[in-house]
Amino acid sequence: MIAGNTFAIGDAQGDMEADPGEPFGLFSFDTRFLSRWVLTVDGERLGTLSRDDLTHFETRFVLVPGTASHYVDADVSVIRHRSVEDAFSEQLIVLNHAAEPADLTVRIGIGVDFADTSEIAQPRPRSVVVNPDPARGVLRLRYERERFVRETTVASSAPVEVDDTGMTFRIRVEPNGQWRTDLRVTMTIGGEGGRDLRESLQSHRHQVRREMREDLRDWREAAPRLIAERPAVTELYERCLADLAALRYVPLAYTGRIPVAGLPWAMALYGRDSLLTCLQTLPFTPELAPRTLRMLALLQGGQLDDEHEEEPGKILAELRYGEAAAFGEKPTALYYGAADTTPLFVVLLDEYERWSGDTVLVRQLRHPARMALDWIDEYANLTGDGYLRYQRRNDRHGTANQCWKDSTGAIVDRHGREPGFPRATCELQGYAYDAKRRGARLAREVWGDPAYADRLEREAAALKSRFDADFWLPDRGYYALALGPDGEPVDALTSNIGHLMWSGIVPDHRAGALADHLAGPDLFSGWGVRTYAAGQRPYNPVGSHLGAVWPSDNALAVAGLRRYGCDPQAARIADGMLAMACTLGGPVPEVIAGYPRAQTAYPVQLPVAGRPQSWSSGALLMLLGSLLGLAPCGENLLVNPALPEGFGRVELLDVPGRWGHADAYGRDRATDGRSRRSPLR
Amino acid sequence: MSSTVDEHLRRLGSGRRSDLPETTAGTVRLDARDGAQTEHWYLTIADQHIQVSRSVDDADLVVRAERQVFDRIAGGQLHLAAALLRNELTVRGDMRLLMMLRRVFPGPPDARHPRQAAAARGGRP
Repeated sequence: MIAGNTFAIGDAQGDMEADPGEPFGLFSFDTRFLSRWVLTVDGERLGTLSRDDLTHFETRFVLVPGTASHYVDADVSVIRHRSVEDAFSEQLIVLNHAAEPADLTVRIGIGVDFADTSEIAQPRPRSVVVNPDPARGVLRLRYERERFVRETTVASSAPVEVDDTGMTFRIRVEPNGQWRTDLRVTMTIGGEGGRDLRESLQSHRHQVRREMREDLRDWREAAPRLIAERPAVTELYERCLADLAALRYVPLAYTGRIPVAGLPWAMALYGRDSLLTCLQTLPFTPELAPRTLRMLALLQGGQLDDEHEEEPGKILAELRYGEAAAFGEKPTALYYGAADTTPLFVVLLDEYERWSGDTVLVRQLRHPARMALDWIDEYANLTGDGYLRYQRRNDRHGTANQCWKDSTGAIVDRHGREPGFPRATCELQGYAYDAKRRGARLAREVWGDPAYADRLEREAAALKSRFDADFWLPDRGYYALALGPDGEPVDALTSNIGHLMWSGIVPDHRAGALADHLAGPDLFSGWGVRTYAAGQRPYNPVGSHLGAVWPSDNALAVAGLRRYGCDPQAARIADGMLAMACTLGGPVPEVIAGYPRAQTAYPVQLPVAGRPQSWSSGALLMLLGSLLGLAPCGENLLVNPALPEGFGRVELLDVPGRWGHADAYGRDRATDGRSRRSPLR
Repeated sequence: MSSTVDEHLRRLGSGRRSDLPETTAGTVRLDARDGAQTEHWYLTIADQHIQVSRSVDDADLVVRAERQVFDRIAGGQLHLAAALLRNELTVRGDMRLLMMLRRVFPGPPDARHPRQAAAARGGRP
């Protein structure tokens, strides 16, 4: 269950117990507020008859005492109906199906370790003060370190015995009768005078107990309606919208809901994930973009700071609120170790305006956008050769690879050799090029600064031709993954060439070669484009960035292919991605293994892969948008479909934008030839 | 270079702050507790300028902390966001201004330009 950065993960019965391998429990603002929450009846655990996930924030379990082998004629059953919002609520209903009254002992075992989300594998021992208050039916658990305070309060509506490790109800339920209690778990982040920090913030005063259902309905109604000939595609679309709704949170410093990266390890603001999610979802849920832009502008770097890898103008990488961030054990109170977020900020600002026509926001964010553009040349041109590079300054906790392929060994050549630092990965140059071009458009059309626009355009053109000269590998027919510190190319074939097409830095005459690589057997697995092509020494189908397949990566590749008119390759990859997501069902995973589709016939999931993930759910929406060829064109919505064979017909109704609302229709070529059947609606 | 919050705010001057967005405007009051006493600074931010005065008037954002906490922030030794999370500093009102306040105070004194850091360390992986 998810409500922004508050989430609860438990077992099939709804019990939650801490585990070193997975973040089980109730979490909020990067702290575990329940590490034990176990229901028993007469000392016995319960078995599950059914579990119903009503919405992303609400689940109902129907349980009976005992295990599957002997519950068949149970006289008692328990309904456990829970929800998360700003608090966690659980309603327990005990039903007696017998002709005799039932005397039962119902117990909830309760414990809290207040672990930081960064230490789930091995939470440090903390001394937790436990304060049972049987008279009020309340159990308080509190952790303090200096002035840092986190507190969990559990309250019961029905009379209850409270002790240090839980709550006990000794109840009598009449024949065919029921008993009920409402348990409410409040999570407090200690602020001034023992009150919750959020109470004193304007941004949070209006948010308390907002109707979650209403919010979800508004969200769904504002998004376009998709009607596809293949019902699985419609289901997938609805699923992605619902997952995106779940993954929105209200930060401390801002009032609007913005995307967190995803479950279970990244329920926090990540600049890259949020920016890409917004870019992916502009035709569907454009409301995410202006809030994310404003929030990231507020948090934009203002000074030099090695520990947090901050520089003036830089856009945030990660923001956490837990103990590790508070005490500087991790630099995540405001961490800036990402080289791509800053250009992507400018890219999103421009793209959002092209869809929405919201020039007011572009004017308001002129200063942060200008600082971001200045950052590219002033703080990221690390060797003076004009390329955007990264090299961490925080040796202890900083991210070594500050690009989307951020695992430690991700940037290697065909033979597995790592270049030195600072590194210039190719997609960063694409983003920088795109940011300059888009900054130029905004300067010319909105900021009234044609001289600056001319300068940015000159710089972008120079970067494009220099990039082609330095990164192109003529013998291999693709662009190098990166340049090392002395300009030596890292010659691996990777999915990054898809990002280059998306950003537009690729000269037209190179597009065909890149498209054939992306849809060819070494990169394309049948489900999607691998991060790293097979046939090179470091290739590993289960290596996150050395062979596995990421939906977010694929969405950009498909958009890039369509940008250059490589429609068959785009359709081929999109078809594989849609098949992957429909076959797996449920939330779209962050990454799947890179095995050939023909070999496994089923998409192989990786244990590291979280789901739902904002940029994976967003990726599937972006793929649909790319297949339909949705693009703003002046004041109109341009629709230019190129659907995979067998896709059938599709309608996307009420696409929001500067045109108000517009509909998009598409059909694949095979369908074009058929006589028209009954309408979809 | 260590400095007290008092010295730092006095030195701010009235010149144009090109690092502040033109669109940022608001008032911030800093309440620095020192034993039984509390000192107040009042910052008015508008049009890329910051005006510092002493006042107990209400402000869009009120920031409270021990004086030594403000001194450490003014010396670049304590990160404003970490101080907030640690509850060493409390805020009331418009948090967006707290983010701008980060630019009023300096970063760590030993921080390096990334180009300088890259050149100093060579490029081995």
